[in-house]
Amino acid sequence: MFGVVPVSERIVEAYIGEYASGKSEIAVNRAVDLKKEGRCVTLVDLDLVEPFYTLRPIKRQLTETGIYVVAWETSETMGLGEAGSLIKPEMRWVLRRPGDIILDIGYGVEGAKVLNLIEGAADNKNLQVFVVLNIGRPMTDNVKDIVEYVKELGIVHGLINNSHLGDDTSVDFVQQGAKVITEAALVLGLPVIATYIDRKFEFEINSKIDIKGNPIRLLDRYMTNTFW
Amino acid sequence: MAEKPIQGEKRVFMTGNEVVAWAALAAKAEIMYGYPITPQNEIMHYWTRLAPKFGKRFLQTEDELSAGFTTLGGVLAGRKAFTATAGPGNTLMQEPMSMAEMMRIPSVVIIQQRGGPSTATVIYSQQEVTMTTYGGNGEGLRVVYSTANHQELFDYTIKAFNTAWKYRFPTFVLGDGYQAKMRESLTIYDPEEKGLEFVPTETFLGKAPVNGVKQPVHLRNTYNTEEELYEVITRYMEEYLKVAPEIIEHREFSCEDADIVVVSHGVVSRAAKVAVQELREEGLKIGYFRPVTLRPFPAEELKKVAARAKTLLLVESAFGQMAKLVKDAIFGSTVALENLFKPGVGITSEEIVVRVKEIEKGALAK
Amino acid sequence: MTMIPQMPKSWRLESKPHKFCPGCGHGLVLKALGEAIDELGIQDKVVFGADIGCSLLAWDFFNVDTVQTHHGRTTPVVTGVKRANPDVICIAYMGDGGGYAIGSQHLVNAAARNERITAILVNNCNYAMTGGQMAPTTLPGMKTETTPYGRDVRESGYPTQGPEMVAAITREGSYVARGTVANLKQLKGFLKKALQNQMDGNGFSFVEALSTCPTNWRTNAKDTWAFVEKEMTKFFNVGELKNPAAKEGE
Repeated sequence: MFGVVPVSERIVEAYIGEYASGKSEIAVNRAVDLKKEGRCVTLVDLDLVEPFYTLRPIKRQLTETGIYVVAWETSETMGLGEAGSLIKPEMRWVLRRPGDIILDIGYGVEGAKVLNLIEGAADNKNLQVFVVLNIGRPMTDNVKDIVEYVKELGIVHGLINNSHLGDDTSVDFVQQGAKVITEAALVLGLPVIATYIDRKFEFEINSKIDIKGNPIRLLDRYMTNTFW
Repeated sequence: MAEKPIQGEKRVFMTGNEVVAWAALAAKAEIMYGYPITPQNEIMHYWTRLAPKFGKRFLQTEDELSAGFTTLGGVLAGRKAFTATAGPGNTLMQEPMSMAEMMRIPSVVIIQQRGGPSTATVIYSQQEVTMTTYGGNGEGLRVVYSTANHQELFDYTIKAFNTAWKYRFPTFVLGDGYQAKMRESLTIYDPEEKGLEFVPTETFLGKAPVNGVKQPVHLRNTYNTEEELYEVITRYMEEYLKVAPEIIEHREFSCEDADIVVVSHGVVSRAAKVAVQELREEGLKIGYFRPVTLRPFPAEELKKVAARAKTLLLVESAFGQMAKLVKDAIFGSTVALENLFKPGVGITSEEIVVRVKEIEKGALAK
Repeated sequence: MTMIPQMPKSWRLESKPHKFCPGCGHGLVLKALGEAIDELGIQDKVVFGADIGCSLLAWDFFNVDTVQTHHGRTTPVVTGVKRANPDVICIAYMGDGGGYAIGSQHLVNAAARNERITAILVNNCNYAMTGGQMAPTTLPGMKTETTPYGRDVRESGYPTQGPEMVAAITREGSYVARGTVANLKQLKGFLKKALQNQMDGNGFSFVEALSTCPTNWRTNAKDTWAFVEKEMTKFFNVGELKNPAAKEGE
């Protein structure tokens, strides 16, 4: 087992959240960050309801960095015409892979139940389920709605502040998100894992923590290249 | 029951389909009828999540024919009803909408264009222009707004309800799969707080008796003789042409001294805008013209532009569907027509820049 | 030692492994159908029509003449083929949305006219390909993307009883059955009889197959089978409803 991170130290994280909350972007960034630390990383695209913004188009780019990407290839998707809402066998057995596993989970009425499709997810001790939240999305823009929403998802281990407004994002808005999400986390009894902020604000924010003391992680945009 | 769906105004980040669901709520739509088809599904997903919170209804029908006709039923019953569809669903939607045209039933349909013909792709195109403007067995007695971004999807979905009920022509918001799935920021707001007044709905069927007396109505779309039909259609066309100038919308810039004017609509006009701005910075005399209403078409406005320009470059993700509308509008003009047609495929600003420069070169060579 | 899974002769090897999700019932239904085609020796005479939705993934599944049609329109397309060439054996393959919603008028009228075709409908309680919306067969209380609070029978009725409906509107000569992927041997038997009934020129043949959709049900293997065997069978009775080959009085 040389060259493989021992199972006890492996990182297994599932990113879940509202439609267009930024799950995929966060998952990709997390995978890239872990890879930069020299770890063995597998990134899995399990976005079943929203197959449009998938990792498909950037699969090669990510693979070149050494990340093992489990996602459909465009060439494989002939016949997946209607939406491509399908999983492939490799996704089902992905927890058998060594090293870190980052799962990008889609939105949907059944929330974290998508994990039922992964063999071994239910009793995987390493698995951490994180909810990606953006207060720029009207259904999760206040403490009450966030609490209600997260409660419906099933098992959750932490929240992630990914508040932004696309090109109109400001540091203030991200900090406002940190406030709202930290308050919701308190009600839920969950930690805030991190606040993600676009790398272009690195010098403006000039801090390792956000206004509520949560760690800041800088975000690079990959998903803008992934239209279909 | 929750309060108003949107209080005041706020900046948000969403996909286009969600925008439509929120806009319909903001426009005080009361019921949606729909059937699953990509790429408009999330309009239904978000409407079904949100609607019960605000006392609004949804019916999933057995197909788009049914979604269209149930929408008409809802409208006849006095409700602000709407539906949304795409591609092959839009094909089926033409039957109910031709009934709406004949009976002047106000109705709102959101279209997210996908590749065609047939099932083709679920992704994107601008190939539903001909069908959405002139579909059905009639004269195109309808209004079609072609949007380019999320703010417009919000604004024009709200506007569509007023247009439909004010003029009593079926009104379409023509988006596409890219707009449906793209995510960007926009401002959502309560239209009434901004001073917008909603045109009241009218109950056509099932009206309560007045002073204990029921006055039954009899509505039809069938006529006995050619003359009878001719009289009705002539009257409708007169009304349509009379209100058309009030409805027509377009955008243009840098057309005053332009040699070449890029004409495009919908999401493609975003690329066109960037291309024209870049080319202007390079010192080329290029203009931008975008019809917002594809039906009625801004014919007079485009004619004026065509009279000054040497060339119109027609750019669309279809093989000349908008071009047909353009040619019809500028009939008689001697302006040269060039095109960049890419059916079912997106168009970038770079491609438009290259095409414009090709045309420039050709003009110089002459 | 490598085990090569046994594939029906009529399957097209170039398109395997197929693209249905792990745990999807389509592969099982198509395996039963492939074996039925093999055993009847009709591979060269079959015209296979595939609908829209997940059933369209069967468009290159068999080494038989195949046409993928529009959503709900497979029944009339293969009816047209059969009317024009009665010597071929026509199969219309569709999902519950295609057959019971958008294509229901075609199913009803093909059955009423006793068309000599075989319609096979895969029932997995949802529109799977478009991301899991309510289908006519969605069970009461079941959550889907368009019933986020569960199917409310007062709003959208009870699950469509397809074979019962077809049995009610057809007369002599029709074959109607409901099988399940949980009993493949029986399902194959039903499919074989449904094809034989067409070959005998008796009339319309219809088989519904209860199937699985773990992807949209969000179920693991155990819960998937429990859903088919325990939940679905509460509303959908498995068995033959009509069989012209059976003895009088049966």
